[in-house]
Amino acid sequence: MAGVTSGGRGAAFDPLKHSQPLGGALAFLGLARCIPLLHGAQGCSAFAKALLTRHFREPIPLQSTAINDVSAVLGSSDSLLSALDTINERQRPDVVGVLTTGLTEVSEEDMLGVLGSSRYAAGSRGPMVIPVSTPDFHGGLSDGWSAALQGIVAAVPATGVTVPGRAAVLVGPALTAVDLDEIADLVRAFGLDPVVVPDLSGSLDGHLDENWSPLTTGGTTVDALLGLASCEVVITIGSAAAAAGGALAAKAGAPLISHDHASGLAATDRLVTDLTRYTGVAAPDAARRWRRRLADGLMDSHFVLGGAKVAIALEPDQLVAVGSLLYDVGAEIVTAVSPTDADVLRCAPWEEVVIGDFVDLSERAEAAGAELVVASSHGADAAAVIGAAHLTMGFPVYDRMGAQLRATSGYRGSLQLLVDAANRLLEHRESHRATGPSRARRASAEQLEELAC
Amino acid sequence: MAALTKIDAAALFDEPACDHNRAKDPKARKTGCSRPKPGGTAGGCAFDGAMITLVPIADVAHVVHGPIACAGNSWDGRGSLSSGPTLYRRGFSTDLGEQDVVFGGEQRLYDTIVEAARRHHPPAVFVYSTCVTAMIGDDFDAVCAAAATATGIPVVPVNSPGFAGSKNFGNRLAGQALLEHVIGTVEPAFTTPYDVNLVGEYNIAGELWDVTPVLAKLGIRVLASISGDARYADVAAAHRAKATMVVCSRALLSLARGLQDRYGIPWFEGSFYGIRAMRDTLRGFARLLDDKELSWRAEELIAAEEAALATALVPYRERLVGARAVLYTGGVKSWSLVSALQDLGVEVVASGATKSTEDDVDKITELLGPDGIVIRNGTPAELLRVAADTQADILIAGGRNQYTALKGKLPFLDVNQERHHAFAGYPGMIEFARRLDLALSSPVWEQVRAAAPWDDPDPAGPTGQRIAGPGGVAATAAAAADVDVDVDADADADIDDDEVF
Repeated sequence: MAGVTSGGRGAAFDPLKHSQPLGGALAFLGLARCIPLLHGAQGCSAFAKALLTRHFREPIPLQSTAINDVSAVLGSSDSLLSALDTINERQRPDVVGVLTTGLTEVSEEDMLGVLGSSRYAAGSRGPMVIPVSTPDFHGGLSDGWSAALQGIVAAVPATGVTVPGRAAVLVGPALTAVDLDEIADLVRAFGLDPVVVPDLSGSLDGHLDENWSPLTTGGTTVDALLGLASCEVVITIGSAAAAAGGALAAKAGAPLISHDHASGLAATDRLVTDLTRYTGVAAPDAARRWRRRLADGLMDSHFVLGGAKVAIALEPDQLVAVGSLLYDVGAEIVTAVSPTDADVLRCAPWEEVVIGDFVDLSERAEAAGAELVVASSHGADAAAVIGAAHLTMGFPVYDRMGAQLRATSGYRGSLQLLVDAANRLLEHRESHRATGPSRARRASAEQLEELAC
Repeated sequence: MAALTKIDAAALFDEPACDHNRAKDPKARKTGCSRPKPGGTAGGCAFDGAMITLVPIADVAHVVHGPIACAGNSWDGRGSLSSGPTLYRRGFSTDLGEQDVVFGGEQRLYDTIVEAARRHHPPAVFVYSTCVTAMIGDDFDAVCAAAATATGIPVVPVNSPGFAGSKNFGNRLAGQALLEHVIGTVEPAFTTPYDVNLVGEYNIAGELWDVTPVLAKLGIRVLASISGDARYADVAAAHRAKATMVVCSRALLSLARGLQDRYGIPWFEGSFYGIRAMRDTLRGFARLLDDKELSWRAEELIAAEEAALATALVPYRERLVGARAVLYTGGVKSWSLVSALQDLGVEVVASGATKSTEDDVDKITELLGPDGIVIRNGTPAELLRVAADTQADILIAGGRNQYTALKGKLPFLDVNQERHHAFAGYPGMIEFARRLDLALSSPVWEQVRAAAPWDDPDPAGPTGQRIAGPGGVAATAAAAADVDVDVDADADADIDDDEVF
């Protein structure tokens, strides 16, 4: 059980935190034929879009209501409705996720009231418009994701029927495209039919379609959302999906299987056990095979990762997931920094989590002599300064390819992450090895050669 | 609104040097630049524009006063390079919380500036206001003044709430902040008769470093680069320059005009992209510096550089000649790059003019000829449609359209802010040719355009023949080529009429 402390600085220097609207937009990008709409100045969406584009290397559908100095003061509801009209005419989306920003929250406009009495009210013809309150000055990416997912579940109608086999799988922002595939395959192997919400593995996995599209080109479909409350069971992976999972389970009258993450042998065992008990189906062959491989991989990699001093800076769910996996192989988590507070942080098996920024990470990691930094691309400088290896994970990742192919979950994904972390450390030790006798000999031989020339 | 944002927008919009504004009638002129359309926006806000212009000042701490979104989503995200200090790449945000929104963020701002100065000892701190801090009514200028007294270094307030306008307007706000608070506050260690300012050159991918050596050959010294690879003291000494060049930026004309009005420094507009543009630029400096001998040396240098360049470009020109390009970029580049491409033998079949003035459009039309298309609506779907209609081989545009092109299976070259390669000056021209050639001749296009062979219903298709015998390989290649042709023929149908944006 970790204690959660504050970095102590009011401001953010080299911020680790991203804003709530960005997290909310990311969740909506996991719905099919969707476009998120930030209710704020045009820069709110431009910055978020640029950052998401850099990370995913994909076109990102995202618009803004273009609040200006006049509408900021005199009222922004006309801009909101006019933006919805424009989007509806031009892109014809199935879903629009409307996310407030600091600007529109400060003016305290009644967005829900405005939408509720407009042609975009729930139940109207046209796109499903889902409004979510996500002020920039409160919380962060994971909170925005959580709020958007709760908004999505609130917009899902109760159906009064249960479709046998249908499993609603609500996920947090920590899972990559390959993680989502892994979880869905696992659920499917128990004879269930998973509906993943939101499903970034269908929209931002990096795939080439026939045509360019101004909307998301995959993800959870609106039909799947309309039938979501007919599920016979709700499964959540990630604490950022827990509240939405509880609400959906209540709406559907379905049991809830809730997990903070599925990283590591023990965590995946618990998920597989729950699925076995719920379905009465024995653990599938693939799970058994990959569990054996993970068990073997834990032994192989403990020679490398055991005792390694690791500093991590990630969003809460991913921090606990990745940290737990490395902790389970014997690494020492010397520094763990989260951008925002969350209950899940207290479940971390090591001692302390600091709410802070990259300066907090850098100073603590250096003081503790960390040799592996696990963080986004923004952590590259911190790792370089303290001479540590850098395993690039989280958000944003713009100086490495394949962020969506980085596995973290399930038996197979956990093994992949162990291998990645161990290899990163091995490469680093290789290139930073103290000059041993053989190397010294080689160096002096080269010097002699130079002198001879 | 002036009370809210402390920006006299009407005065700033009244820009006599701006072609956009000159062309309007007196009534339209007062309304300023066009407002972004809700739900149809593209591009950044005024805060973004202010940061683009000022953040390249590398030894300064850039503090953003606002909630986390403004700095958190943008820090260390710009392609501007520094040859020394890296402080400009760090992110400093006051990270406003709910409490600050209710009770004000002034103390938090003061503490943040003082802490940034204490940690990094910069020569100055630049502070940017944002939408939320403008709305809650923090006395931004007073806090900056108090922090300047406490730290003993200049603290420059940049009033740049995003809602004030577009990115271009933010460029202008930044220029205004420099004129009012920075330029003229430091005297240079020494001056020469050939000291110049560059305005609007941001050293993206290190482009400046391909330009300054050429200028140095003529004895021209860049006193203040505003602001690629800049240092605070150099920018503050810009008032001692003898000429200013505005590089590809309508938005910063007001800064050049301010330098002329306040310090009598003449200015001209130019570009570093392409042979013709470089020729005009070198002549422009010689003209403004008003030195006969410099003019002769400039002509000699131009002749020598162009001769060397012509030789270096021969192999590329052979490979590029006849290629068809759609160019979509803003302002001056919409025509300066046309000439750069034509110099390489590339046929520019269309060029964008959404951010250009009528003057720019005239130049485009003149360069493209009667068949050339002027793109006025630059939505992704429209760009793909134009590319398909003109049978273009490549889209040359800003990073925002990179994935438009890729999803349309069209080769792409980035020529805007986020690009990773330096295309300025004479060395940049060779790099530009090399990158064009690499993009066009990449082996990936043939592969990604071909459909998977296993969907081919024809039993005599590639798979069957491959199984049938040793002739399979050749037959497969032929069939794949057929598929390629089919896809090209369908290119028009690829773009759905409904998807206008």
